[in-house]
Amino acid sequence: MSNLVGVVNYGTAGNIHSVRKALQKAGADVLLINQAEDFKKVPRIVLPGVGSFKEGMMELESDGFIEPIQMFDGPILGICLGMQILSSLGYEHGLTKGLGFIKAEVKLVECLGKVPHVGFNKIDVIKDSRLLKGIENEMFYFMHSYEVVNYTDMLALSECSGHKFVSAVERRSVFGVQFHPEKSREAGIKLFKNFLAVDKV
Amino acid sequence: MSTRIIAKLDVKPPYVVKPVHFEGLRKIGQPNEVAVKYYHQGADEILYIDIVASLYQREILLEQVEQACSDIFVPFAVGGGVQTLNDFSELFHHGADKVVINTHALQKNPNIIDEAAKCFGSQAVVVNIESKRWDNWCECYSDCGRIRSGKNVLDWVKEVESRGAGEVLLQSVDHDGRQRGFDIELAQKVVSLVDIPVVVASGAGKPEDVLELIKVAQPSGVALASLLHYDKSTIKELKKYLRENGVEVAL
Repeated sequence: MSNLVGVVNYGTAGNIHSVRKALQKAGADVLLINQAEDFKKVPRIVLPGVGSFKEGMMELESDGFIEPIQMFDGPILGICLGMQILSSLGYEHGLTKGLGFIKAEVKLVECLGKVPHVGFNKIDVIKDSRLLKGIENEMFYFMHSYEVVNYTDMLALSECSGHKFVSAVERRSVFGVQFHPEKSREAGIKLFKNFLAVDKV
Repeated sequence: MSTRIIAKLDVKPPYVVKPVHFEGLRKIGQPNEVAVKYYHQGADEILYIDIVASLYQREILLEQVEQACSDIFVPFAVGGGVQTLNDFSELFHHGADKVVINTHALQKNPNIIDEAAKCFGSQAVVVNIESKRWDNWCECYSDCGRIRSGKNVLDWVKEVESRGAGEVLLQSVDHDGRQRGFDIELAQKVVSLVDIPVVVASGAGKPEDVLELIKVAQPSGVALASLLHYDKSTIKELKKYLRENGVEVAL
């Protein structure tokens, strides 16, 4: 498989620039996905994310991207909000249906410490993973107020102020990370390299 | 959770400068070079503030921003002259992960905080506070420490939190560039007053200042300028020192 990766460009909600830059650093050829037809041109996609669940889904819908993503036949990596909207349901700014890849709900982080949870933090990888191979002991950059509540597809957990939450999910070839690989130094670049090496299951 | 060590670039295009009390600028270097230098030293985040955009009433220069972050892979927060949701959007599309706002929200339209939080998520909205200390209170200033607002810092931080800001950058007009230590008393009050992360800037002259601030006020992050610009310490050395003294930092 080539090193081509599509980065889904949706509206105001997207840290497109940083994600593209870091993917290129990892050796990827990046195609920005600006219209539904573009999904056919790439073997894998990255769903970035800055913004809220509701706005994000609305943007995807108005761009006509929901069905192409749900039907996409290749590895998918969701980052931050991009991971959250892989879930079935979001609670941010009212109930919103997500893409439904992962049986999960996205809820506000509740813990004794400060929210949003911002900064470099550890991940506790709980199963063998193609995505996190070789970077299990690295720290990654988090910046979020909501978390994916899931019990079936957990790949890694992290902790803020004593509160454990799911920081990565994996279901077949669909991956999601709550942290930002594109903002996590060389460890993040390595994660992107791992993703480029994932073959469809 | 580790304490973030952040490099702060005050930019007067095309240079990173270092003001004292927000005035008297000294030229430090090109934004891209300075950013890369601190990235390699181990900065957890880079903060880029166009310190004259509001004052000159112009928009922030997007090409400069994009260039500054082209070789760094840590979070990049940008502020200066931000007024509209479109400004936020443009900055995100030119490499910002967070947008920092002060003047417009403080002096004209605080609703921009609510709107931006709703549109981009709280975590992407940082409110910059330029505090000036009077006898019994601290006042919020704008336009790079020049214009008064009459607003009490403690009231304003509560307000911006309730409006949806995801982070507060607490700067001090009195301590800025003096390198004689932080306004720890204020930092402590602000950190304990709000539930959102607080990043404290202004005043670090030596690693001990940073350690004292972290021990006493426990901010989520510390933003440094002079300490780094004048090579008094590198971020790497500072982090090592902090870790040896019991502070959790990302190495």
